Amino acid sequence: MRTVLLASLRTHTRRYVAAAVAVVIGVAFVVVTGMLSASARSGMTASVGVPYAGADVVVTGLDGPDARDLVRDAAGRGDRAAVIGSTAERARVGGRLLPDNVTVGAVADDERLQWQEVREGRLPAAPSEVAVDVNAAKTDRVGLGDTVRLGAGDRTVEAEVVGLVDTPSAAPGTDFLLTFADLETFVDGLWVTSVVYAGPGADSVQDRTDGDVVAAADHVQAVQADVTRGVDVLAAMLLVFAAIALFVSVLVIANTFTILFAQRARDFALLRCVGATREQVLRSVRLEALALAVVASVTGVVAGTALGALVIAVVRRSVDDDVLGSAMPSARWYVAALATGLVVTLVAAWLPTRRATAADPLSALRPHDVDVRTTAGRVRVALGVVALAGGCALLALAMASHEVVPMLAGGIVSFSGLLLLGPVLVPAAVRLAGALASRLAGTPGRIATGNAVRNPRRTAATTASLLVGVTLTTAVLIGLASSRHTVEEEMDQQYPVDLTMTSDTPLPDDLLGDVRATSGVVDAVALPGTTARIVGQGPVTLLAAPRGTTGVLRGDAGVASPGPGEVWLPDGLLTEWPANGRVTLEVEGRTRTLSLNTGEGWGPAAVVAPATLAALTDASTPRAVWARADDGADAEDLAGDLDALAVPAGAELVSSLGERGWVDTQLDVLTATVVGLLGIAVVIALIGIGNTLGLSVLERGRENALLRALGLTRRQLRATLAVEGLLLSLVATVVGVVVGAAYAWVALRTMVDVLTDDAAMVLPWWQLALVVVVAGLAGLASSVLPTRRAVRTAPAAGLGMD
Amino acid sequence: MTTTTPSHPVPAAAAGHPGTAATARGLTRVHGRGDAAVHALRGVDLDLPAGRFTAVMGPSGSGKSTLMHCLAGLDTPTSGIVEVAGRALAGMDDTALTLFRREHVGFVFQAFNLLPMLSAGQNIVLPLELAGRRLTGSVKERHDLVVDVLGLRDRLGHRPAELSGGQQQRVAIARALVTEPAIVFADEPTGNLDSAASAEVLGFLRRSVRELGQTVVMVTHELDAAAYADDVVVLADGAVRRHLVDPTADELVAALRGEQVR
Repeated sequence: MRTVLLASLRTHTRRYVAAAVAVVIGVAFVVVTGMLSASARSGMTASVGVPYAGADVVVTGLDGPDARDLVRDAAGRGDRAAVIGSTAERARVGGRLLPDNVTVGAVADDERLQWQEVREGRLPAAPSEVAVDVNAAKTDRVGLGDTVRLGAGDRTVEAEVVGLVDTPSAAPGTDFLLTFADLETFVDGLWVTSVVYAGPGADSVQDRTDGDVVAAADHVQAVQADVTRGVDVLAAMLLVFAAIALFVSVLVIANTFTILFAQRARDFALLRCVGATREQVLRSVRLEALALAVVASVTGVVAGTALGALVIAVVRRSVDDDVLGSAMPSARWYVAALATGLVVTLVAAWLPTRRATAADPLSALRPHDVDVRTTAGRVRVALGVVALAGGCALLALAMASHEVVPMLAGGIVSFSGLLLLGPVLVPAAVRLAGALASRLAGTPGRIATGNAVRNPRRTAATTASLLVGVTLTTAVLIGLASSRHTVEEEMDQQYPVDLTMTSDTPLPDDLLGDVRATSGVVDAVALPGTTARIVGQGPVTLLAAPRGTTGVLRGDAGVASPGPGEVWLPDGLLTEWPANGRVTLEVEGRTRTLSLNTGEGWGPAAVVAPATLAALTDASTPRAVWARADDGADAEDLAGDLDALAVPAGAELVSSLGERGWVDTQLDVLTATVVGLLGIAVVIALIGIGNTLGLSVLERGRENALLRALGLTRRQLRATLAVEGLLLSLVATVVGVVVGAAYAWVALRTMVDVLTDDAAMVLPWWQLALVVVVAGLAGLASSVLPTRRAVRTAPAAGLGMD
Repeated sequence: MTTTTPSHPVPAAAAGHPGTAATARGLTRVHGRGDAAVHALRGVDLDLPAGRFTAVMGPSGSGKSTLMHCLAGLDTPTSGIVEVAGRALAGMDDTALTLFRREHVGFVFQAFNLLPMLSAGQNIVLPLELAGRRLTGSVKERHDLVVDVLGLRDRLGHRPAELSGGQQQRVAIARALVTEPAIVFADEPTGNLDSAASAEVLGFLRRSVRELGQTVVMVTHELDAAAYADDVVVLADGAVRRHLVDPTADELVAALRGEQVR
């Protein structure tokens, strides 16, 4: 039997290529994931300990003032302490306002606690000196000797850039580094990661602080564990996509085996006639599958290792960072990847091999073609109906209860039902589409439809793989588009005004006209105001939102039309929330006590109704201009242009465009990543379609020859196969898009409805159309190779084919 | 298993007689049921003598192939008894039947006789390999003898696709003979061959009976092919019409014609 096994492997190698490619891609995916996570883990944990190198203990759980007190206390005792933390501040380089807030931190005062690597210049040693992170320096175009102004209002620090530094990726780096003395300016808003402490007093730190004191080594270990967990979560998420790709591989491989064995039924039967027992044949084909599994899995591991190394090399080269270490994944990853490949292939081959060896010896004696027609079994249909109904019930339950678990279970069960019902549903859909194809493509269209539906189980299996990919892609696209919609609405609430210029002195009258004339500005309004005092707090610029303010705002922010007796203050302006929820404003002796609302996104000013302002002062002057940007406007350019107007007018510009752009970019990246990862499964599915077509062509050699003999031209034969490929891929895609949309709707009702009242489902028409078009083209492309083979065979040779 | 028989034996009267390679009693085979039922065999009684070349003839649909399949254990009769090489086939399960075929039965089919991915030599030793027998000692001698008698020595490395139709059938005959089976069934072995190749193949089948002492049963509808056989069984409507021993050409033609005139 070994001779037979080896000979079959030799003979059928080419027909196994598609199945092997599917396994290779899946296994390589797992290996690359393992390599990336191992390398990320080593790269990130390696640098985690850097900031704590010189410390004896690490204190966490402190706020800014506490941290400052501890540092001062340490200095008083002759110990060393430094704050690792950051605050987000506005920054101006030269006169230029940076579009986004920057992060600001401090270097340790004592050299032994300094850990940043200096690339150029030196670390700040005295007040009014600042160092800049090399990456931030690049994006913000800051160089040595530049003057930087950080902060806004009365909390600003002006400093000269004395150095460029690099921070290890996993360490808490900031864009700008001041001395701690300068950072104390922002101590109220300082986000303290930890305070590192060294010296004889380290043992008694716990007595002097409310924070948690941990030995430095233990802290590093804890942080490393955190990072590792983060990387592991990421790896697990990647593996979900790998699992999807592998599931699609199972479908493709099982289909390949089924078709191949159907074609070789006569070989098997002949073997049985000359004395092979059923077990011998079964063992032989299983060994064949095992050989394929081994070769494909090993190839996958090798390919994955090469690809992983390439990705790591590219990342380390292009990103000036040591995010990725050089560590290789543990042997367990490789074993797991290899085992996955083996199991996937063998599982996929199990049923087809069983079916193949059930062949009865007599069939070898039949001179006719092996009948490859199959139908959907009744058991299968019954199971499918039950699964579909049960899954839908679970989905309904999920929507009612807003629980994720029944949603996932319902999704999986109902989709399984759908796949089981494939042999009934898919041919029906193909027939429907085929009616159109026949009208458009004539005879080839009719033949193609007939070919596509003659073996319902094979057709269903072929389309199932693509269906999985398209359904998931569609659901993700719709889900992300809908979340984007929701997020945008939220952003409108959070950042109601794109750009504001606010001043504590009257603004020139022509400023509004200049702002309106700036390219990228859609509309702008000037807000009258005055300088007021919040009783018990301090001065604030008071603005009145006139009628028409709504026009320049996004969404229906309350700040655009404060009610009588209401005032809107920026978050964080009040250090303490008044007990009765009311504040008193005073302008030159006139006071008004107003109910307090807070929010952000309109600059450093209090906003009241025009009537309230009028009651407080008779002499209001223009104090602010609010502008709305064009949706396509470049955030940085526009902020720069308006800043050029604001600075001479003595106004402070605040732009929320950067934040908006950032969120947009995040969503774009997320969409691209998920679609890209799902794309792998789709590619495997398309290889599967090409494979089915190719094998069907082999099988139908005689038929195609007969058609050619009867007068079908080469072009028509080519069209027949192209239409068949197109029918299969389009039916799978259209069904997938519809089903995916349904799942997205369920997910939205289940998960997002809880968070917001109206989670509207947004259909990204262009993206969905793109999915259909790409799948259609890929279906056409998958017919190219089989077509070449089919038309090359001369009719006479084809008729004589065995 | 093979027994050498006198040159003019009389068909054995009793089943299981040492001179009988295969026996059928009251053999019926019905395909389908109810209105669609087809009675391929309607009670066949037949003894096939060992060491003789028997041709089974009859028009299309007379049940020739079904009879052969039942005798070879490829098909299960609806009723009746089949004994081959002294063993009753009824009651054997699939594996037992397979092992039985492997040991005692050889096949030559009309077409698709050889596994396309194996060379001629590999095809020939396939039954030995399946049975786990090594090509040494007496097995090797038998193999060499068969290969030489069939003139395949210089063709062993060729793939079936590289052989002519006649050569392919010779390889198939070699494969059928290599295990020294009790009986060889040939199903229209010349159906796909031209007259020269047919004559060659039939000559080899006869030589295997004469020189190697095999028992060969050949299903054919060609009169020329039947002329090579020692005995001729004429089948009609699923039953044995005549069993001729060493018929002359005239007897054979008369038997077939009588069959047609009937």
